[in-house]
Amino acid sequence: MDPQIESELEEDPIFRNSLREARVILSAWVLCFLYTVSYCYLNGYLVHEPNPAATGPAVAHLLGPLQSFDRDPDSLTYPLGIGIPDWIFYGVVLPWMICIGFSFWYGLVLFKEDELGSSPQESTEADE
Amino acid sequence: MTQTSPVTIATFIVYIIGVFILAGFSHRLLKKSSFMGEYFLGSRGLGSWALAFTFAATSASGGSFTGYPSLIYSYGWVLAFWIASYMIVPVCTMGVMGKRLNQVARKTGAITIPDVFRDRFESTSLGLWTTCAIIFFTTCNLVAQFKAGALIIEETFNLPDAWGYIGGLLIFAVTVVFYTAYGGFRAVVWTDVMQGIIMGVGVAILVPVVVIHAGGLREVNEKIRAQPPTLVTSQKGSFNDLAIEAVGDHQPAGVRYFHPGTTQEEVTIQWNTDPEASTREFVDIYLAAEDADSSTTSSANDVKAALESNASLQEVIEVKFAFDNEKFTSTPGKTISLGAPGAISLEPGAKPKTYVFVRGDEAIFGPGRKADGTPFHPFGMCLSFFVMWAIVGMGQPGTMVRLMAFKESRTLKRAILTVTVYFGMIYLPLVFIFVAARTLLPHIPQEDADKSMVLVATRVVADLGVGYQILAAIFIAAPFAAVMSTVDSFLLMISSSLVRDVYQRTINPDVKEKLVKLASYTTTVLVGALVTVVAMKPPDFLQYIIVFTSAGFAATFLFPMMLGLYWKGMTRQGAIASSMGGFLIMLACFVPNMLGGSRVDSFGVRPLVFALLSSLVLGIVVSKLSGPPPGHLVRKYFYKEKATKRS
Repeated sequence: MDPQIESELEEDPIFRNSLREARVILSAWVLCFLYTVSYCYLNGYLVHEPNPAATGPAVAHLLGPLQSFDRDPDSLTYPLGIGIPDWIFYGVVLPWMICIGFSFWYGLVLFKEDELGSSPQESTEADE
Repeated sequence: MTQTSPVTIATFIVYIIGVFILAGFSHRLLKKSSFMGEYFLGSRGLGSWALAFTFAATSASGGSFTGYPSLIYSYGWVLAFWIASYMIVPVCTMGVMGKRLNQVARKTGAITIPDVFRDRFESTSLGLWTTCAIIFFTTCNLVAQFKAGALIIEETFNLPDAWGYIGGLLIFAVTVVFYTAYGGFRAVVWTDVMQGIIMGVGVAILVPVVVIHAGGLREVNEKIRAQPPTLVTSQKGSFNDLAIEAVGDHQPAGVRYFHPGTTQEEVTIQWNTDPEASTREFVDIYLAAEDADSSTTSSANDVKAALESNASLQEVIEVKFAFDNEKFTSTPGKTISLGAPGAISLEPGAKPKTYVFVRGDEAIFGPGRKADGTPFHPFGMCLSFFVMWAIVGMGQPGTMVRLMAFKESRTLKRAILTVTVYFGMIYLPLVFIFVAARTLLPHIPQEDADKSMVLVATRVVADLGVGYQILAAIFIAAPFAAVMSTVDSFLLMISSSLVRDVYQRTINPDVKEKLVKLASYTTTVLVGALVTVVAMKPPDFLQYIIVFTSAGFAATFLFPMMLGLYWKGMTRQGAIASSMGGFLIMLACFVPNMLGGSRVDSFGVRPLVFALLSSLVLGIVVSKLSGPPPGHLVRKYFYKEKATKRS
């Protein structure tokens, strides 16, 4: 862009704020993804893929043969006594509650209430 | 057996009348403002509640209340893991692009998603391409949604089997097409609010009713674990479902139906009776056939009799008919015995049809097991589905267009918080309900599990006494509302694409408003009629169709839109490459499956993940190669004039 023109312009604050908010949200999604998938898969499955390479060499190297994570059905517990299996409670329900808390933090603290402007048609109607 | 009561039917009809009244109010507003902006975008005037519920109701498609419950019923608690990404779906799907997309659409006066692409990149070809993609995917999805609506009407009104599905389809189509065409976007949003409230209320009531009726979740789990290994030999469209339980110590692996390959008058059974056998054996059932070239002629009655008369199996399995040998809904006052009519259809030379015994524990833990013994939710699917719900949700044009319709930033913020709470109240509790339903309504075959929501409403709730009829109507209305809210927005998307993007912006920019009105109404009705015809021979399993079209939308729209909104270096060529690349790779992965082969699933990861990655990479690489983008577009969409200092 022409430097002279650029000096007369500033980056759109809605673009800037939206990008910042989007980055935070996507980071939160990555955290949820890593935690929930790994926790549930390793703690809630009766059988795992017999070939460790099915999960990729890095995971197989880190965790070893996945059969060692096969869940014994008799080890089932119910946290808080509400009848939700332990692996669902810690792997899904608990992070779900935390995500609700995150969403409220996002809405009440992070989110900027920017002025969005008006469409050309709205401007025309307003002028008339 | 319980029939749907007249009170339930009356309540249901009142609900549909309510939808028509809302359409009438909405139609009056059309006369007061610019037709196109009001009919397709509600004049950008959505408030918090309207945005929240229209967003939630549109996201919660027919699959949420037919496919999803059926999967919970079939596979148990692993579905909580399957749907877990919804913990962060509202903030992802509305927060990542909402404010920015709304601003960009306002800058140009865009009414549709192709409008946004066309203006953002100053490209008519991109506008037309995205219009075509919307029409293609939306039509596929509408067929599945119409099927779901037809099934609900068929069950609710106890329509006769001979024409029940077609009758349900016509009633559904006329209802939804009429109010959508007549009322436009505002009618769709208002009915979404009403439907969203009904869905929420339905689930909120259903949870305690069903769970308490089943004895509490803990009791439910223990009952499920104590159930003997069971299989249901179901065949789509027939009444030949046998529920077989393994009861002895020497349990078989499952049963297999074979064509005998020769003339055989009676069913014969083969099973290795050696209890010391190192692997569990299948009970092989050779059905009767008139000759080697004919389809089999045995019914489930014949198979049941043969299994029960086999001495070696008598202490090993117990054979029943699913649903206690009666069809759960039929013409009032009439029941149909299962098993009696029709043969179990197996063509000569066909592979044996295999069913494995599934233990109760397999509904408490992952990965769940399908009737043929393959895992339901292996590792690749764990990854894919967590990506799918949140990331794919962002790439749906139906949700994007709602993000163009809200009034101000504050509206978006409040809507995100509302939907966050709302989804928490819907998706997890549905798992509780339908895990409990396994103990209340055992033996619904996987192929008929699409009806489990309606069955829970009509059979479980109907047994509860006072007030049950109205409750049942609300429960039935919940999935119906979900289907309607998806269908109405899709119908509008197609007609807006044709009228606005193809006709007004490409063929005749000076078209008069009177003609636009006529074209909008007519297009909506014609599209509805076309989909109705296609849905008369519906797809086999609803959820997979919806998964395909949702994934296709995301592969085509997500990264072109996201990069266009947030990356100054995105060019027109990059946007086209990203959109077309994602679409073509998605299609290439699914076409072999449509032609009867296997779908392309590398390492168990669904095609969507590859299509999304390809779309992202193509968008970046092609933009880099074809850049830089025109300076006036960068200035228009990423900069604003500095505020002048006051002296």
